[in-house]
Amino acid sequence: MPALGTFILLAAFVVASYAIAACVAGARRRSTRLVESGVSAFYAVTALMTVASGVLVHAFVTDNYAIKYVQRYSDTAQPLAYKIASYWGGLDGSIMFWVFLLSAFGAVAVQVNRVRHRELIPYVVAVIAAVEVFFIFLMVIHKNPFSTFLTPAPADGAGLNPLLQNFYMAIHPPSLYIGFVAMTIPFAFGIAALITGHLDDAWLRAVRRWTMTGWLFLSFGLTLGMLWAYEELGWGGYWGWDPVENAGLLPWFTATAFLHSVMVQERRGMLRVWNVTLVIVTFFLTIFGTFMTRSGVVQSVHAFGEDRELALLFTIFMVVILVFSFGLVIYRLPLLKSRNELDSWASREAAFLANNWILLFSAFFVLFATMFPTLSEAVKGERLTVGPPFFNKWMLPIGLILLTLTGVGPLLAWRRSTLGNIVQQFFWPVVAGVVTAVALYSFGVRVWSSGICFALCAFAAGTIIQEFVRGADVRRSTTGTDLFTGMVGLFGRSRRRYAGYIVHLGIITMFLGFAGEGFKKEEQLPMKVGQQTTVGPFTVRHDALRVTADAQKQMVTGHVSVFEDGKLLTTMEPAKWYFAKREDEPTTEVAIRRAPAEDLYIVLSGFTVDDQSAVYAITVNPLVNWIWLGFGLMAIGSLISLLPESMFAVAMSKVPAGAATTALLLSLLLPAALQAQHVENPQTIFKAPRTQLEKELQSEIICMCGTCGRKRIGECTCGLAAQMRAEVGQMVSQGKSREQVYEFYMAKYGSQEPLASPIDKGFNRLAWLVPYIIGGTGALIVGLMALRWTRREGADATGPAAPVDDDPARRQRLDDELRDLD
Amino acid sequence: MKTKALKIVATVVILLGALGGLMYTSLAEGTEYYKHVEEVMADPGPWHGKNLQLHGFVVDKSILRKPDSLDYRFQIQNKGLVVHASYTGVVPDTFKGGSEVVLKGRLGPHGFEVAPNGVMAKCPSKYEAKTPGIPGT
Repeated sequence: MPALGTFILLAAFVVASYAIAACVAGARRRSTRLVESGVSAFYAVTALMTVASGVLVHAFVTDNYAIKYVQRYSDTAQPLAYKIASYWGGLDGSIMFWVFLLSAFGAVAVQVNRVRHRELIPYVVAVIAAVEVFFIFLMVIHKNPFSTFLTPAPADGAGLNPLLQNFYMAIHPPSLYIGFVAMTIPFAFGIAALITGHLDDAWLRAVRRWTMTGWLFLSFGLTLGMLWAYEELGWGGYWGWDPVENAGLLPWFTATAFLHSVMVQERRGMLRVWNVTLVIVTFFLTIFGTFMTRSGVVQSVHAFGEDRELALLFTIFMVVILVFSFGLVIYRLPLLKSRNELDSWASREAAFLANNWILLFSAFFVLFATMFPTLSEAVKGERLTVGPPFFNKWMLPIGLILLTLTGVGPLLAWRRSTLGNIVQQFFWPVVAGVVTAVALYSFGVRVWSSGICFALCAFAAGTIIQEFVRGADVRRSTTGTDLFTGMVGLFGRSRRRYAGYIVHLGIITMFLGFAGEGFKKEEQLPMKVGQQTTVGPFTVRHDALRVTADAQKQMVTGHVSVFEDGKLLTTMEPAKWYFAKREDEPTTEVAIRRAPAEDLYIVLSGFTVDDQSAVYAITVNPLVNWIWLGFGLMAIGSLISLLPESMFAVAMSKVPAGAATTALLLSLLLPAALQAQHVENPQTIFKAPRTQLEKELQSEIICMCGTCGRKRIGECTCGLAAQMRAEVGQMVSQGKSREQVYEFYMAKYGSQEPLASPIDKGFNRLAWLVPYIIGGTGALIVGLMALRWTRREGADATGPAAPVDDDPARRQRLDDELRDLD
Repeated sequence: MKTKALKIVATVVILLGALGGLMYTSLAEGTEYYKHVEEVMADPGPWHGKNLQLHGFVVDKSILRKPDSLDYRFQIQNKGLVVHASYTGVVPDTFKGGSEVVLKGRLGPHGFEVAPNGVMAKCPSKYEAKTPGIPGT
């Protein structure tokens, strides 16, 4: 099996190299057949990488410890899901996973654009294949994931790092990789456009869509990284300016800049050199990020360790990229002349330009600060480091300026805004911001950065709401529908613009969450049984310390009761887990009580078993959940803007007038009606359950009053719980089964929320499959294409010496000449 | 045209100058020297009061904790030179006699004063991942 894997990698190397040669030669000689052959070779790389991934995953699943990589990152006791995730858990596999994703994405991009951008395709293929060749080369000569033990294979593996045995960690790297990989595609299109000189704005369309896709995945990956840090590392925060996270943030900045400045080029024909540069820089930063995390240049939580040879290879590759790309830009400068000049600073293009500068500055600042220890060591011979306070000092004002521009940009007109329309556009949003600021001040908020952030959030949100209301109003008066349907209709009319606003709304929501950081409260203290302490609004009491064990690990769990205003709110169980093979590296199992206003976050940081005392780190994190919510909004906005135009048009035309309003009102009313308030009712008489099933159901269904902290209906004292108990009793006496009761509540509340534990844990982890589904789809497409070619003509890989006779024009001419002779 | 170019140049110069100046001053406050125990303790004089990240190994059986508190006293050493350290707060799991640590803080008259959350233990992991105890801080 390992031999097969190595062989496939070698084959992929050869085939990808052939794809480059055939495509470049084909494009230069204008031989369609040669190009087609190159493209098929390109698809073949995808197929080969899919098979190679299959071989490696198979090795993990079947515990083939003869392969070094499998031995190092897996063991027999590991759950199947983590065995599969181990594929990208280490350096060698992560490079292979990278190539696999790139080949899959590349195949899709080429397939989608092969007709519309026919003249660019050969060079697009060549560029993507060249990147693949580099990474396959790395694997073949240096980091082969299929290399085997020369000595007899060990009986068991070392196991994946327990820190990585976590749901978020399993999907966080793939989504970041997808984001990185997707950025290769706009780069390929950009380079192809530069080489061919087809620098009209047509290529921008393809580039914009793919940048958007990559951007979405990058954002997803970064958010998951924050969630992982928050839930798994247990230091109470989500972003610590760790070099690896920074590496993901760098291309995010430049991609965001590009997504804005590309609009200026589309509308006004300006900033053309700038846009090409941004595409190149974004791609470069993805490669640089990979280099930074994989070569040990910087120290980090999840860097892979030091590797000089790898660093050298990467450096060469990066120099080649820069020289080649910017060489091409300089060569094509005459074609990249701007068609217009900036008319006024009070214009939207000026706002975009400012936004671009700030984003670019952010990228270079983060790059500089991340590399600072390495740089200082190289320059001064002394290792100087900068910590998170330094990052925060700079990024905080930068973030606030960006937030302001988020509000200002869309309000300015293209070309030039007159004083009149500035006043008209800014009046209400500024009022919203000022009112918020005054209100906060009078309520005694004195954390300046957060206060300003809240006010700016109100301003920016105000601009967006104003845009929606005005747009919908215009639409209502022209089409005669009501306000809400008009609002939805806006998406049909100018989808990109309004989808962009949704993304902005998501960003604003995230900023709300970031601002909450300013009100964070922390306490670390040792506690004896029965002792209590107060942090923020919560009083925390240490009840007990228990030690338990299962097959994989030993668990030390602290039992804690939390009170608010003297009432028991909930009980929490922070723990430490000692995995059998790594007793000296326990994992921290944080206990989090989530709420929209603030999270209570408890870590068990130490304990003494003898007297059952424990050391707790207790943190109150205000508004953290708004960050995750904000990402949700961002994702929705991006998806709306990525939907194919035709699909959207069809959907819009099918929606009858007024439907949107009805749906919206219903969805607003339903939860309101169902969310009956929790009213403490001490006189509640608990009727004894009549059957065993009823008794069990009382502890399996949760009271949905929304304020009792998810108590079981058998325990909650409010009126709604009594009503739910009665419902359950009635259903049981009607002879309904447990599943039917479950279904009743799931239908009533629209989710599994009323159930104490989710029905099928497996389903919730479906996200695991995403990379595989993408890969599988890619493979399927390749298979289908292969089938089509074989049906059309015997062989495709006719090689460089494609017979000239097959050119239809030439044959036609030959025919004509022969006819003349007759 | 000439005034326009002048304006652009002036703007760029002012902006770059302001940013550079700010960066320089904030860098001076924000940086920490990464040093090994023996480098500092060979001649501790000039290091007093400077922000340091001190690398060394915890001396066996030197860790003392005041009962019912999170006040720690311990010693770290490297290549024969030893320094006393004091710290209040939560320590990482891998913090014990003999373990490799990096301490953030300053050198004071009574030894090394570790900043809050300033103990980072390096784990002798078989892993490639270099996981400090409190990552990201």
